[in-house]
Amino acid sequence: MKYHALVVIFILSYCCKTAFAADNWNIHGFVAQGIIQAEGSNFVNDEGDTSLELTEVGLNATYRINNKLRIAGQAVYLNGGNRFANGPRIDHLFLDWQMYNTLDSHVNLYLGKIKNYHRLHSATRDVPHTRPSIILAQSLYIDVFRDVNIGSDGALFKGLTTNRFGEWEFNWNYGVASISSDQTKLFFADGASGELDLAREHQGSIYWRPSESNWQFGSSFVNATFEYEQGENDPFADGQAQTKGHYFNARYFGEYYTITAEYIRLRSIVNGLIAPNVYSDTTGEGAYLEGQFYFTPTLSGLIRVDIYDRNVEDRSGERLAAQGIPAYFGYMDQLTLGLSWNIAPKWRLQGEVHRVKGTGRLAPIIVPDIANNNQEYWNIWALQLMYWF
Amino acid sequence: MDSFGYLRCLFIALVLFAVPAVEARNDNLQVVVITNASVSSHALSTSQLRRVFSMRQLTWPDGQSMRVFVLNNKHEAHEAFCVGTLNMFPYQLERMWNKLIYSGLGEAPTEVASLDEMLEKVMTTPGAIGYVPSSIVPSENIQIIRLEEG
Repeated sequence: MKYHALVVIFILSYCCKTAFAADNWNIHGFVAQGIIQAEGSNFVNDEGDTSLELTEVGLNATYRINNKLRIAGQAVYLNGGNRFANGPRIDHLFLDWQMYNTLDSHVNLYLGKIKNYHRLHSATRDVPHTRPSIILAQSLYIDVFRDVNIGSDGALFKGLTTNRFGEWEFNWNYGVASISSDQTKLFFADGASGELDLAREHQGSIYWRPSESNWQFGSSFVNATFEYEQGENDPFADGQAQTKGHYFNARYFGEYYTITAEYIRLRSIVNGLIAPNVYSDTTGEGAYLEGQFYFTPTLSGLIRVDIYDRNVEDRSGERLAAQGIPAYFGYMDQLTLGLSWNIAPKWRLQGEVHRVKGTGRLAPIIVPDIANNNQEYWNIWALQLMYWF
Repeated sequence: MDSFGYLRCLFIALVLFAVPAVEARNDNLQVVVITNASVSSHALSTSQLRRVFSMRQLTWPDGQSMRVFVLNNKHEAHEAFCVGTLNMFPYQLERMWNKLIYSGLGEAPTEVASLDEMLEKVMTTPGAIGYVPSSIVPSENIQIIRLEEG
């Protein structure tokens, strides 16, 4: 039944592309199906079995109302097993107002359901052919928070200007979001029956592409407040969590390779939630270094080292062990090797293997699944076929 | 040394490796930027062209809609244009388009199948911009854009 629905979505998207082939309309989409196994962990499923839960389908449209105003939207269907909340959703739907425009600078205001444009992959993490790998670096792009990190309802200012030092891009947004019950359970545990909301989110970023250079540098911050209201028979309590994060990234574009590095330092202040009157203040830190190598025009390879520590004051997880949680829930380090083959225009076959040490970025985050994640070292392999238009 | 220490060393080693790397350039083919005769701008800088062809510029300064035409990214004129004129690699441009299209921020350029189609589209579409090898003499209703420093 699920796959019938996918076929219908795909045929509809093609019809739309033909029907709205007018100048003011632009229709695009993607469909990807893969096979994945994360043996020794609950990353995809509790059993660690081989699974087809690697489905991503999307359809997006933009309509140019006039030279100043546009409307853009995208709907996606996802099935990633335990990785994120499954099913259809609207990823973005907003009005784009070009407030100022010259050949050297522009400022746009976006209003509505806005994506997160602050990190390198945050705006297109759900679009298979835009990612360097099927599974992104979990230090920055943790799957558990996929729906929270992909965007919010609010406003975004985006400015771009060029001067003698190069090209500068500025982004600032303010937003709120209600979080689905599936996403809430991924965050807390299966029994969480209350309501989790992103009460307010404030993010900003700056990107610099120096003149006559193949480098790009970026930095961003986030300040977000989440509020939780206890549900019926809920083991969790009313409370609030605040996250304050700082990010840096650097990228070098070579003719035959791209080198990327991103860094995250995220402070989480929790009041309540786990139990009434509980207070905790911890800082996590992570980074990855990634090389993409273009062997031929159609074949590329990827190598990535990704590390994350949940608490900079307890990098080895000893304090967790004292609470009865295995120490390896305190970190998650990951080595990834991947290959990507463009088999025909707009068709790609991508495959990868991951060797992982630790389980610190697996769902649920608040109450770790100790029973299914009983190994410090575990592996993932995945193969995905994707098509886009 | 902890995990962060190792990663920091690896990053520094890669930066040292990447900085002095001399990139190959396709110097053989010269390309000129062309627009429809209706366009009132007659000269553009490299950074302005980068903004135009990375699809972050939707209108001309006089308010006319901009229509961007490109060749397939395997076409030698496209490669020569990206590397020689824009100072970037074709894959960078394609990534920027994908990011704009699938995050809602922008639109894709219109891909044409041949140089003949490029000339025809730029000639007949108001506000159009494209490029052709300099050996091709543009027809009427097309203007050649002067490239400026910057």
